[in-house]
Amino acid sequence: MKSNMKHDDQLKLQAWLDGELPAREAAEVQAGLAATADGRALLAELRNTTAALSGHEAGVTLPESREFFWSKIERQIAREAAAIDRPAPGLSWLARLRRQLIPLTGFATVTVVCGVVTLHSLTGTDPVAEMELANEDIGACTYHDQANKMTVVWFSDRSRATEAAPDAEILPAMAVESVAAPDGTPDAK
Amino acid sequence: MKKVLNHSSASDEELVAAARRNDLAAFEELVARHRDKIYARAFSMMRNEEEAVDVAQEAWVKGWQRLVQFQGESSFGTWMTRIVINLCLDQLRRRKRQRTESIEELSEEAGGVERQMPVVAANPTERLERIELRKRIDGALALLSHEHRTVLILHEFEEMEYKEIAKTMGCSIGTVMSRLFYARRKMAVLLAGLRNEE
Repeated sequence: MKSNMKHDDQLKLQAWLDGELPAREAAEVQAGLAATADGRALLAELRNTTAALSGHEAGVTLPESREFFWSKIERQIAREAAAIDRPAPGLSWLARLRRQLIPLTGFATVTVVCGVVTLHSLTGTDPVAEMELANEDIGACTYHDQANKMTVVWFSDRSRATEAAPDAEILPAMAVESVAAPDGTPDAK
Repeated sequence: MKKVLNHSSASDEELVAAARRNDLAAFEELVARHRDKIYARAFSMMRNEEEAVDVAQEAWVKGWQRLVQFQGESSFGTWMTRIVINLCLDQLRRRKRQRTESIEELSEEAGGVERQMPVVAANPTERLERIELRKRIDGALALLSHEHRTVLILHEFEEMEYKEIAKTMGCSIGTVMSRLFYARRKMAVLLAGLRNEE
């Protein structure tokens, strides 16, 4: 006998049989779908199958002795525990030491950087003024004072200065070419 | 003085508590008590003796490693069964990825085949001996695709609800309903067919 029920109705009927529907919907199915000829036939088939399966699963037993099966489990447990404890094979003591030191070094670097940044933000001053020589021939120097938010740039002709005072390390001919004001506006002097 | 646990007479709960304290002998007793049940579930899903033994063994190793997670909300046997079911599903998914799906399986997934199957009016298992019935059911289960067999096993033997099956199998409740319906209908046809073959 072929059922003319819609697939959704068949699934709903099954859900009703399995007690998966909310009370209101279950009552509707019981009064409607379950009472039809198709519904009754399908329900009978589903019930027969469920009843046949219930408590009739084939009694399979492990085809290995207790001792042998346990010995395999025990060995695997020991092997996996050892793999967790043991470092990866093939690494020299130096490589293992390096592996330990890399995270420590990274941590130390981050700590130092954070310390310097914190100190800088707390004091509000730059403990080391920055000087930079841009070119040997031109003889350009910059001085950045973070406390005053000011940058000073010196331009000088080094060759001329060396001729005039060969032993002098600081050139007397240096001149302030431009000064950045605290607000960032260039201030030529 | 510390009380010595007699493993053979201890309850599962006592053995679990001892095993959590690294008592491997207590765990061995748990394995001995539940090994057939765990293997049977693995075999019912894998349908292969060798694979079932391997999966059962892996399940016991996982069980030992995860004992700390066992909260005692279900029995130890049920908890172990869930572990072996999940391992079987992982294995079956891997196996499925390696082969092409047949046209029949694709039709089953679409949910169209079961609608064309006529309703089996007579009870095909009536008046069968218990051993014979078990044998037939096992034979019919072997003919289902692993998705349909799994959903049937989880619902009929493990008594899981649709929602729980969907979570375990990683699919929607609608898919569970459809697969269960197909599996039941196909089982009815197969059991009737096996009877007619006599």
